[in-house]
Amino acid sequence: MNSKLIFKRMLHSKFFMIGFITCMLIVIFAVVGPSFVVYDAEKNSLTEQFLKPEWLSNGWQGHILGTDELGRDEFTRLVVGARYSLAIALVVTVCSAVLGTILGMIAGYLGGAADAIIMRMCDVFLSIPNLILSIAIIAVLGTSTTNLIIVLIISSWVQYCKLSRNNVLVTKKMEFVSASKCLGATNSHIIFKEIFPNITTQLIILVSQQFGNVILVEAALSFMNLGISPPTPSWGNMIAGGRTYLTTYPWLCVVPGMALMITVLAFNFLGDGVRDVLDPKRT
Amino acid sequence: MSLLEITDLHVQYRTERAVGNALSGLNLTIEKGEALGLVGETGAGKTTTALSILNLLPSAGHVISGDVKYEDRSVFEMSEKELLDLRGDKIAMIFQNPLTSLNPVFTIGEQISMVIRAHEKVSRKEALERSKQLLEQVGIAGSRIHDYPSQLSGGMRQRVGIAASLACNPELLIADEPTTALDVTIQAQILELMKNLQTQYSTSLMMITHNLGIIAELCEKVAVMYAGNIIEYGTVREVFKYPLHPYTQGLINAIPNLEGQRDRLVAIPGVIASSENLPEGCPFHPRCEHCSEICRAERPALIKVAENHYVACHERSGELL
Amino acid sequence: MLFRFIMRRLGQTVIVLFCVSIIAFALVRIAPSSPARMMLPDTATDEQVAAMEVKLGLDKPLYVQYYKYISGIFHGDLGTSTQYKTDVSGIIANRLPATLELNAVAILFALVIGIPMGIVAGSKPGSVTDFFAVLFALIGQSMSPVWLALLNILIFSSWLDLLPSYGYGPLVCIILPAMTHGYPVAAQITRMGRSGMMDVLREDYITATLAKGISKRKVYTKYAFKNALIPIVTMVGLQLGIFMAGAVVVETVFSWPGLGQLNFQAVGNRDYALVQSTLLVTAAIIAVINLLVDIINSLIDPRITLE
Repeated sequence: MNSKLIFKRMLHSKFFMIGFITCMLIVIFAVVGPSFVVYDAEKNSLTEQFLKPEWLSNGWQGHILGTDELGRDEFTRLVVGARYSLAIALVVTVCSAVLGTILGMIAGYLGGAADAIIMRMCDVFLSIPNLILSIAIIAVLGTSTTNLIIVLIISSWVQYCKLSRNNVLVTKKMEFVSASKCLGATNSHIIFKEIFPNITTQLIILVSQQFGNVILVEAALSFMNLGISPPTPSWGNMIAGGRTYLTTYPWLCVVPGMALMITVLAFNFLGDGVRDVLDPKRT
Repeated sequence: MSLLEITDLHVQYRTERAVGNALSGLNLTIEKGEALGLVGETGAGKTTTALSILNLLPSAGHVISGDVKYEDRSVFEMSEKELLDLRGDKIAMIFQNPLTSLNPVFTIGEQISMVIRAHEKVSRKEALERSKQLLEQVGIAGSRIHDYPSQLSGGMRQRVGIAASLACNPELLIADEPTTALDVTIQAQILELMKNLQTQYSTSLMMITHNLGIIAELCEKVAVMYAGNIIEYGTVREVFKYPLHPYTQGLINAIPNLEGQRDRLVAIPGVIASSENLPEGCPFHPRCEHCSEICRAERPALIKVAENHYVACHERSGELL
Repeated sequence: MLFRFIMRRLGQTVIVLFCVSIIAFALVRIAPSSPARMMLPDTATDEQVAAMEVKLGLDKPLYVQYYKYISGIFHGDLGTSTQYKTDVSGIIANRLPATLELNAVAILFALVIGIPMGIVAGSKPGSVTDFFAVLFALIGQSMSPVWLALLNILIFSSWLDLLPSYGYGPLVCIILPAMTHGYPVAAQITRMGRSGMMDVLREDYITATLAKGISKRKVYTKYAFKNALIPIVTMVGLQLGIFMAGAVVVETVFSWPGLGQLNFQAVGNRDYALVQSTLLVTAAIIAVINLLVDIINSLIDPRITLE
């Protein structure tokens, strides 16, 4: 597929454009935002508890989204929390994609015992739900950002592994692979130059879809105090903190929840858009 | 009144990448009881013709102008109900690839009896019983009626396709390259079967193929298609003996001769015209050795050159008239 | 053929469960502090801890410990909870019905909403119905269960005062948790149904069926529907694990007395035996469900056993 067609499809796909623009805005917000905020995300200010959102009535200096139970500015925490959420999701997605793809390609290409072992490993990880495994491991290892990342990688590499293995199995049987084998190509040449380019499209699609997922699992773990621990803000632990005051000060839950939803929605839009744009079956 | 009459049919495929003219002014008639062969290269518009007859073009396909009349009724003006009565009952179709044209999650018995039950008021049991007879008629043991398509070989699946198309005793059978996806030995069996069934049921047949041998075997009339148009039409005997259009001549010269003196095979130079970018004038002119000025400018019409022989070529029709 | 397929799947299930048991066993051993110390008060001396280790068999080689652990499982002994001071198996058996109930209702809800939406959307891509189905699905997949749960409580319980936000027993109590738990699944089913239907409608055999004079409506609802349903059934089966895991959050927020809530509390109390066993039991349930799904699937779709 030529780049001109892809570009044309990008411009025409509503999902892609909405997703792409929103994602860009969120990323900029998370990367640049923390340097501009006025308040300290972690410093308590007990005289300013539970202030209602002022929106922009006091300009950017005010408590735009109000304050929480410890008097910390909600907007500041949201911006700082965004940086953590996105950074963790990025690290996890990249690592698990690399790990999973390598294992999957090895399994698919070598077959035999390597394939059997890796596939049974996938089965094992698929039969333990992500969240339960993460909870168990973190419960034992203790709560820390490193452990959070490790656990998230452990629970998300399988998808990539299965995807790349199945694709390698299909591609391996194609005639062009046999042809280059006949011409004396080495295994690594075949894997990286012949097979890998054929699975990149699907990998890109999976990555863009999984990104939002990782954010959601991270939020769930942080909500249960197994992820990023307070006072460092994350959207998950902000929701957890606000839960007690759900009926009295609902914005404490609604604001981070909304941010979470919009972010994941934007990445899902992007994922769908990418899938539409790269769909080889589309006429 | 002809059984089927196609007049000046233009069909376009509009996709994201381009607009393709699949059919550009096709004219064709089939009489009752007649067996017509439709021959041409891949992409000449044969399958599009077949799907237009059933008014079943895919969503990208649009009929621009022209008409398809079945017993003097335009299929494009028929109500949904009339179309349902037409499809499967009056006109049945055999598809090219038996591996993809049977639904993998229904038994072959269910797939044959669904046609019967769509057109006749019979019980499920009765329909299955008739499906069994049909299967036996096409050479499959009736006991396999509860098998799924995946349990049958390609040739057997095509037999199932034939059985399903004959289920309601249609007046016109459209066979879209029914043997292309099969082994040569199986091809012969299937053709033999179709020949017998056609005489037995006395249906009209439209045989779509790119194999001239099949047409010589099964058909009385032949229509040669090139780039969405009929370029030569007539009885098989006449057209095969005295091919007039350079393209038809090319097709016939490309068949190896097994008897008598063996000459070198002559290939038609160039490739088939792209439907997205048809040449001006006669669509065949870039490949034609007799090409003259008029061929580049004007599209030739189908002209009668003899009783039962028509050709669309400036060179030939001018010569003979 | 079917029998051999079932036996092979059964063998795979046993292997998977064996591996899960090793992971569950290993979990407690990699903990920074030994289980013996966890069971004793903070003031315990090193001698007391050592004595406890002997008592628990922690001084024996690992394979002996594992053997003891496994044979315990086969006798229904999953260890003793440090928090409740009773048998873990009893506690889990107590909590299991609530979790199964919640999951069953949630999945039912998801299927009832998701299948029709997906199929209708997929038969008319680009229509208004399709747009709303896609939106419904995308939002469902982007909602954190935590937030959805709290939002539901806020709207249906606090503002509208329609449904209870906690409790177990009366039927109304299950509505909010099941809705919360089922929505993401409904979203996924909608998407699968939609894309499945779109793929099926492109197939030759659908054109062939239409060419037989069967109405579009019947082809869609009877024939293409069955083709599109198979991947949905497989997906629902394979994803059951994730649904059940999601129940941790939902059960905690709605105080639903199931395994998920138990798990959450066990983590808070550092009750390793309980954490370990919830892991094992959940995996076992999922493995059995997956096995059943595969068998049911092979009955619907004859191609599976033949391949």
